[in-house]
Amino acid sequence: MRTYVAKRLLLIVPTLLGVASLVFVIMRVIPGDVTLLILGGDQAGRIDPAQIVALKRRLGIDQPLLVQFWTWLWGVLRFDFGTSLWTGRPVVEELLIRLPLSLELAFAATMVSVLIAIPFGMLSAVRQDTWVDYLIRVISIGGLAIPSFWVGILVILFLVLWFGWGPPLEFTPPWVDPWANFQQMVWPVATVGYRYAAVTTRMTRSTLLEVLREDYIRTAWAKGLRERAIVIRHALKNAMLPVITLIGTEFAFLIGGLVVTETVFTLNGIGRFVVDAVAHRDYPVVQALVFLIAFGFVIVNLLVDLTYAWFDPRIRYR
Amino acid sequence: MASRIRRRGTLITIVASVALVTASVAASPAAVQAAETGRRGGVLLALIGADPPSLDPHQESTFANLQLVAPLYGTLLQLDPYDYPKIIGDVATEWKVAPDGLSYTFKIRQGIRFHDGSPLTAADLKATYDKIVFPPAGVLSIRKNAYTAVASVEAPDPSTLVFKLKFPSASLLANLASPWNVIYPKKYLDKDPNYFKTNVMGSGPFKFKSYTRGATFEGERNPDYFVKDRPYLDGYKFFISPETSVRAAAIRSGRAYIEFRDLPNAEVEAIKKQLGDKVVIQTTPMTGQFGIAINNTAKPFNDVRVRKALTLGLDRYTAGRVLYGITGLKLVGGLMRPGSEWALPDVDLQRLPGFWKDAEKSRAEAKRLLAEAGYPNGLKVVLKNRNVKLPYQDFAVFAIQEWRKIGIEVEHRPLETAAWFNDGQNTGNFELIIAPTVEYMDEPDQFLGRYVTGSTQNWGRYSDPRLDDLFSRQARALDHAERQKLVGELQKLVLENVYYMPGLWWMRNVVHWAKVKNYVAPPSHYTNQKLQDVWLAED
Repeated sequence: MRTYVAKRLLLIVPTLLGVASLVFVIMRVIPGDVTLLILGGDQAGRIDPAQIVALKRRLGIDQPLLVQFWTWLWGVLRFDFGTSLWTGRPVVEELLIRLPLSLELAFAATMVSVLIAIPFGMLSAVRQDTWVDYLIRVISIGGLAIPSFWVGILVILFLVLWFGWGPPLEFTPPWVDPWANFQQMVWPVATVGYRYAAVTTRMTRSTLLEVLREDYIRTAWAKGLRERAIVIRHALKNAMLPVITLIGTEFAFLIGGLVVTETVFTLNGIGRFVVDAVAHRDYPVVQALVFLIAFGFVIVNLLVDLTYAWFDPRIRYR
Repeated sequence: MASRIRRRGTLITIVASVALVTASVAASPAAVQAAETGRRGGVLLALIGADPPSLDPHQESTFANLQLVAPLYGTLLQLDPYDYPKIIGDVATEWKVAPDGLSYTFKIRQGIRFHDGSPLTAADLKATYDKIVFPPAGVLSIRKNAYTAVASVEAPDPSTLVFKLKFPSASLLANLASPWNVIYPKKYLDKDPNYFKTNVMGSGPFKFKSYTRGATFEGERNPDYFVKDRPYLDGYKFFISPETSVRAAAIRSGRAYIEFRDLPNAEVEAIKKQLGDKVVIQTTPMTGQFGIAINNTAKPFNDVRVRKALTLGLDRYTAGRVLYGITGLKLVGGLMRPGSEWALPDVDLQRLPGFWKDAEKSRAEAKRLLAEAGYPNGLKVVLKNRNVKLPYQDFAVFAIQEWRKIGIEVEHRPLETAAWFNDGQNTGNFELIIAPTVEYMDEPDQFLGRYVTGSTQNWGRYSDPRLDDLFSRQARALDHAERQKLVGELQKLVLENVYYMPGLWWMRNVVHWAKVKNYVAPPSHYTNQKLQDVWLAED
């Protein structure tokens, strides 16, 4: 087990290096120039080429690419992700403003998903082809088919039209004002959680159905065990491996992938930050965010892999 | 001074009259104050669609910068918030123009303090304008080309500022009233000319409080503001949200009171329907136009017949009716805003290709020209665009279906902003590209500079010495009538040769709760943003 964890941790280094190199190269080959964007604003600016050269020098992007990459990598090794080309603030500072919100949203949506999806997925599987199963399937297919941002806009419009009320526009951390935080976060959490729960419910249902058809389950029925014991103790644990994998992957995605939902609910999270940074060609910010999101993915995957042994004792780590 | 002007009688009316103006900042807004008495207190909650690239208006050209920071700064002159386009003083109390038009002397109000308590003097103004007009190496100044007439800026004493010119300029006062030219304290500029990209230190009615990128920007009342009893508000707070429908919903729910830039008519109607008299809609023409740049260096667009066919193929009058509801694009005009003193008269405009009232006749002529140019079966073109729906893509979709009627098949290629700038402005890698023009006031130097040879805004990359000459002459023409004539000729030259295709001029909807008082929407989303006279009838 220890050897396995150590091996996986060591593998993180080349993985992240590969990601960093790839992002570094991609950001520089796609069309668009950060200096023109900074100088041009929302219309064609009166830009003197000498000013472009001066700005490039000031931002340090006039250096050869290898020098730029090495400078950045050396900074990362010292936990210094550089400075935003747009705001002039350290990237870490910018990140710390947004990370709590994204983590809260990801955790809360995951909780909603797990709490809803696993019981409903089980119910749907156990009561296959009954009205309960049909109802759960219709609701979960709705969650898969309807884009989250559209649900978000509908939620906001519903609140505004029927109650003349809209969610607060500014994020308040839960430790500052839990009620204000709840008023703002409950809607995006519900919106994202619905889609997430829909995916997880479908997965729970189908894997559980598969397991319920196994010979050992038939044996359990033959032995006269109660349904509850068969489903929860014998079937569910074995059905959970793909579900846990899915939950882990979705959680990692939620940290940086909720761009549209964040936009709809005016949440200043990591997702919007990534997209803004790409649109602005803010190289240090994009590199840092992709690096950190990739790191998050790798760690969550490792944790998911480690939980497998608890669900299935036959699994051995080498 | 005034008598000397009269004696000589040579300088034109506009400069003479401006020279005689004595502007009092305290007096001008007061003259237009509503009958209602202003109420102290409250925080104005506003919405904005984007973050600024930086906080330094000298280096930026987006409303996202100016709307946030304008209340924090003073300017030398300003456009009268209640009487556009009249120019009044802000920190300048009066000014004089030399009879030869080569020297402008301003008196600076004494007793104004920056938010750090230091006094504002002519030396600060000189440092500010030196940064704008003569930026040192490594310092960017987006608008320095607007001041090519300026030879030097001098501050002979703390209350006097003098601009010396190389040649007379018809637009200098308008350029000195630019809302972008905010005054910085000299001592900060001396330490770091780029200090204000990430910091704020002004003398405006509000002091900087906080900024969280992507979320909020806040200012709080400056109790030492030089205008007595101003500002009314305790502060202002912008919520930053890029999604139009979200901003509209925030107004409807009362989470915010105003959106200064623009909301589309569909949202405006819904807000009005739900909130009735609780909201006020101010609809004004906008000093902005959405048109299409044609790459004059690429075949077949170097052929004037093809360019003429393209502009003839656009039925602008129908476009104005169809697009207004969804985009705010409405007015048909030339290169200067219709209704402004510089606009081409309708009778002249309607003689130019693309502006005929009879759309069928225009299409027939377009087909004839295409056939004559060797394209009897039409042609295929690529229209590049910015991947912003409102109004970029809606406008493009209209143009595409119009061109199809004359046999031109268009591939619409929306690009991310960076790539759009790169292709349009930097590399010229396009055939046709949506290219709007938006300025803070109806001033020919601002709007027409882009049509001159070699201008970085000349995305179409054409060169016509007649056009360059006309621009140069109008910029120096101090006689208003003569300048109007030259501006008209320049517009006709561009439009007859179709160097650029204007589309439609924008209308602006400013939506705010009725409790927001004393805000008058000017025809630009860059001006009247100091908020010193705005007040809230209730919290």
